Amino acid sequence: MSTVQLRNIWKIFGPNPEYVYNTMDPAASRSDILSQTGHVVAVRDVSLDVAKSEIFVVMGLSGSGKSTLVRCLSRLIEPTVGQVLINGADVTAMSIDDLRQLRRHTVSMVFQRFGLFPHRRVVDNVGYGLEVRGMGLSERRLKAYEMLQLVGLDGWEDRYPHELSGGMQQRVGLARALAVDPEIMLCDEPFSALDPLIRRDMQDELLNLQKELNKTIIFITHDFHEAIKLGDRIAIMKDGEIVQVGTAQQIVAHPVDEYVREFTQDVPRTKVLTAETIMLPHDGAHKLAGEAVLHNTTIEALIPRISSTDEFFPVVNAGDEIIGVLDRRTVLLALAES
Amino acid sequence: MAQTTIPQRNPTPARFQALLRWGLFAGGILVLLLLSQKFIHLDIFPESWNVGLRGVLNEFKRWVVVNRNSHWMFVFFFEPLSSVIDFTLRRVEDFLLWLPWPVVILAIFILAERIRDLRLALLMVACLLPMGMFGLWQESLQTLALMVTAVIFSLALGIPLGIWSARNDLVEKILHPILDAMQTMPAFVYLIPVLLFFGVARVPSIIATVIYALPPAIRLTSLGLRSVSDEMIEAADAFGSTEKQLLRKVQLPLALPTIMVGVNQTIMMALSIVVIAALIGAGGLGEVVLKALRRLRVGSALEAGLAIVFMAVLLDRISAAMAQIERHSVQLFRGYRLFSEKQRGNKLVGMLERGISRVYALGSALTDGVAKYLAKTFGTKARWLYRHSDWIVILLILIISTAIFLPLGIQNFPEALYFDISKPVDGVVQWMQVNLYNIGGSGIGTGPLRDFLIIYVFKPLRVFLTDQVPWSVIAFVFVYAAFAVSGWRLMLAVLTLIMSIGLIGMWPFTMDTLGQTLVAGVICVGLGIPLGIWSSKSDRVDQLVRPVLDFLQTIPIFVYLVPVIMLFGTGSVAGLIASVLYAAVPVVRLTNAGIRSVDVTLKESAQAFGSTWLQTLFKVEIPLALPAIMLGINQTIMMVLAMVIIAGLVGATGLGLEVYQGFANDNLGRSVEAGLAIVLCAIVIDRITQQFARKASQAANLN
Ligand SMILES: Nc1ncnc2c1ncn2[C@@H]1O[C@H](COP(=O)(O)OP(=O)(O)O)[C@@H](O)[C@H]1O
Ligand SMILES: [Mg+2]
Repeated sequence: MSTVQLRNIWKIFGPNPEYVYNTMDPAASRSDILSQTGHVVAVRDVSLDVAKSEIFVVMGLSGSGKSTLVRCLSRLIEPTVGQVLINGADVTAMSIDDLRQLRRHTVSMVFQRFGLFPHRRVVDNVGYGLEVRGMGLSERRLKAYEMLQLVGLDGWEDRYPHELSGGMQQRVGLARALAVDPEIMLCDEPFSALDPLIRRDMQDELLNLQKELNKTIIFITHDFHEAIKLGDRIAIMKDGEIVQVGTAQQIVAHPVDEYVREFTQDVPRTKVLTAETIMLPHDGAHKLAGEAVLHNTTIEALIPRISSTDEFFPVVNAGDEIIGVLDRRTVLLALAES
Repeated sequence: MAQTTIPQRNPTPARFQALLRWGLFAGGILVLLLLSQKFIHLDIFPESWNVGLRGVLNEFKRWVVVNRNSHWMFVFFFEPLSSVIDFTLRRVEDFLLWLPWPVVILAIFILAERIRDLRLALLMVACLLPMGMFGLWQESLQTLALMVTAVIFSLALGIPLGIWSARNDLVEKILHPILDAMQTMPAFVYLIPVLLFFGVARVPSIIATVIYALPPAIRLTSLGLRSVSDEMIEAADAFGSTEKQLLRKVQLPLALPTIMVGVNQTIMMALSIVVIAALIGAGGLGEVVLKALRRLRVGSALEAGLAIVFMAVLLDRISAAMAQIERHSVQLFRGYRLFSEKQRGNKLVGMLERGISRVYALGSALTDGVAKYLAKTFGTKARWLYRHSDWIVILLILIISTAIFLPLGIQNFPEALYFDISKPVDGVVQWMQVNLYNIGGSGIGTGPLRDFLIIYVFKPLRVFLTDQVPWSVIAFVFVYAAFAVSGWRLMLAVLTLIMSIGLIGMWPFTMDTLGQTLVAGVICVGLGIPLGIWSSKSDRVDQLVRPVLDFLQTIPIFVYLVPVIMLFGTGSVAGLIASVLYAAVPVVRLTNAGIRSVDVTLKESAQAFGSTWLQTLFKVEIPLALPAIMLGINQTIMMVLAMVIIAGLVGATGLGLEVYQGFANDNLGRSVEAGLAIVLCAIVIDRITQQFARKASQAANLN
């Protein structure tokens, strides 16, 4: 069952969003609506299901409405229209108190520019979520130390945020979000403000943490490489709308339009595409010769095995059933197509 | 963009209109002059029109005096309020006076060192010692206690109001004009009602100080809270903070630096009316100044005045340092670099710095020791305690030194350390009075200057305004000016205000004050604009003038009354010179700033057309700087008016003297009437000059 479900979420910025929603021409583009009514349609009719323990990436150019969408989830921004369900509970209908409880216990957030409180020491930043819950000083300190250890910052507890480097600050941001032991973490471009090398470290760190913690993570980025590295699934946003949802392979292999294709262009396809995404159907037309290939083998790993022969290889799933076939030609064609 | 069109000179309708206007003006005056020959009512403001405010007020005062102990308003509101304030003031004052003087100095020294550095700490000591050496230790601490109490109440009132107005746009909108009024009104305007309700003592002076000093506390609290970034608020929201948690844990701490700027301004405002507050019995240094002024003891007035300046520097620097306090987890080792690189080679300097670092090392060791001890005894729970172990150590040092000094009876500053400057100063004054009064019998000197001003300027002007020109003509001039610079609405407002001045029976005094204001204003503008131009043209002059202006604006007004009285004795001339010193500042500043901000390309284009330096100045720079200059003139006139009451204190005739004599003779109505007249006068002149400045700036924009 999905942890987070979004049903037809709309967010229109401006003085009279309901009126604009009710009267606008459904076919009108974002810029038309802006020039006609002065309202910005930041999120447009988004419906999504995010599964438990999955890293769900929302990708799009800047201004495409990602930040707005993710804030609609915990109603930091009030959606104009639509419904948000978290574990089946209707967030959009919650009272302020229930919403506050949701934010304190279930959903936490990591910010692009860290959002650390400059007047609080690292340990008090990390403990903030626990503090507002009403947890006692020593208890929340212990929890904060534990979290700081988890993100590799032990020894820095008593510093102030501005005394830390950007990467370290975002570790604090991560620790702060993790400290409340949330089920769902919202990350709004958490690594975009970091240097490339540090960004890579942080991505690895997040993946490692996720192996242990199994949170449901909704991760915003404008960097497609980051999206395919982190995302179990990826949603691509354009002008407030979701244009494609799928795994990295699905998107790289079958971009729905030019906009998506642009992103996939400079992705190393050999690293993303797997046997499963490029295989031909197993219809008995091909004589199988080579040894079986596991469905999630990347092309990169396939090439040494198939390059010296024209034989067809069976592709098998985890249960050892044959689900398709491929040969050298299949691989070459898949690489050529872009 | 640098094109300037030459104004067309001839469109006849405009010329005709101007002619008509001047004709109307001259005609009006002529008619009134003629009529007033016939109707005495138009010549001298009729006594029978007096609305009798004085009687009503004095009656009311009597009522208050009679009912002070019985009416619910006093029993349940003013009395309790008064006792709370009195209680606080007494506790603070008793505590400060109970502390041995070395402990006071040590405490402030250490505080300053912790907040900023050794340099500031030494400055604090340098400010404190003279207070003692002048024999004014107790008075200084009394003033300090008054400041502390007034500031406590200002903040207790101002910060919640600031919070409220930050969170509620309506409150902000309502408070804004009230705060404006509070800041522009002369302080004594609320001294009078406060006096009525709280009687003469120290409580009303605290209340008046609080009212005066409140606006910056409210304003900057609101500003600080409003400028906390949305990002921070969102982060707090995202973790499920309640409104209260958001305020207490995020917004207030982040607004703290701005709030501290407000605290700093509040303190400075409070200090600036210390002497005025002494008029209604605040005691302390202000009273010393007043007494000395009354007895013309210039030396002791100067001592007390200097003590006020030192107090101002002390409070200003330390609260400004608090506003800039940085957040560092590790206390940086400051203060060691007391001297510059150049002096480092010096043997003595080396020794001194080694000594200082030894003291620091001792301090660190002590702090560490205490931290370790606390950690051992209390464990991680007391983390916040041993994180601040330096403060614990400081507190211990202060308590121990108090315990040592108290039994020794060292509380007041020892007379052995007195350093009296009043006698030499009195000597200098006498010398000056004798020798500068009439230098070598040449007819040049302060005496002849004073006599000249009195005989040829003030007196004729007063006679002219009060006796020779009918009141109706003067009223007409103001009303007409209001109409010319703005329109019907301002005209009606000015008419009402001017009539009110007459109706409360203050016409002759107002004319006297108006004449003096005019003289002071003309001198300020006549000196200030050339000085402003000069300093805009020469950075050297600017650098020389700037600190003088800063000084004039920061020190209490009373302090320059002292040397002025030294040279000119009491009277209107002393008042005039003090007013000029105080009020010339804005016109110099704004002229300078206005000319400096004229677009360089405009100057260049003027020069490119072969303008001389003087032509550029008069045809380009001054016209373009005119709005700024006009603003400066407006502020200067307002400041002259603000000085009227103080000028009265040194014997300048007119409204100021009326207010002061009302105080002195326990005639409340008289004070209120004169005070009201000053305010009315200020409003009239302010509105007219402001509108005029606006017009001038519009004209500058059009060209
Ligand atoms: N508070 C707001 N008021 C008006 N327009 C907004 C507001 N916040 C965002 N927008 C607009 O909504 C669109 C989407 O913004 P955002 O969600 O921040 O995009 P992204 O995070 O993908 O860069 C942008 O065009 C932006 O200008
Ligand atoms: Mg964004």
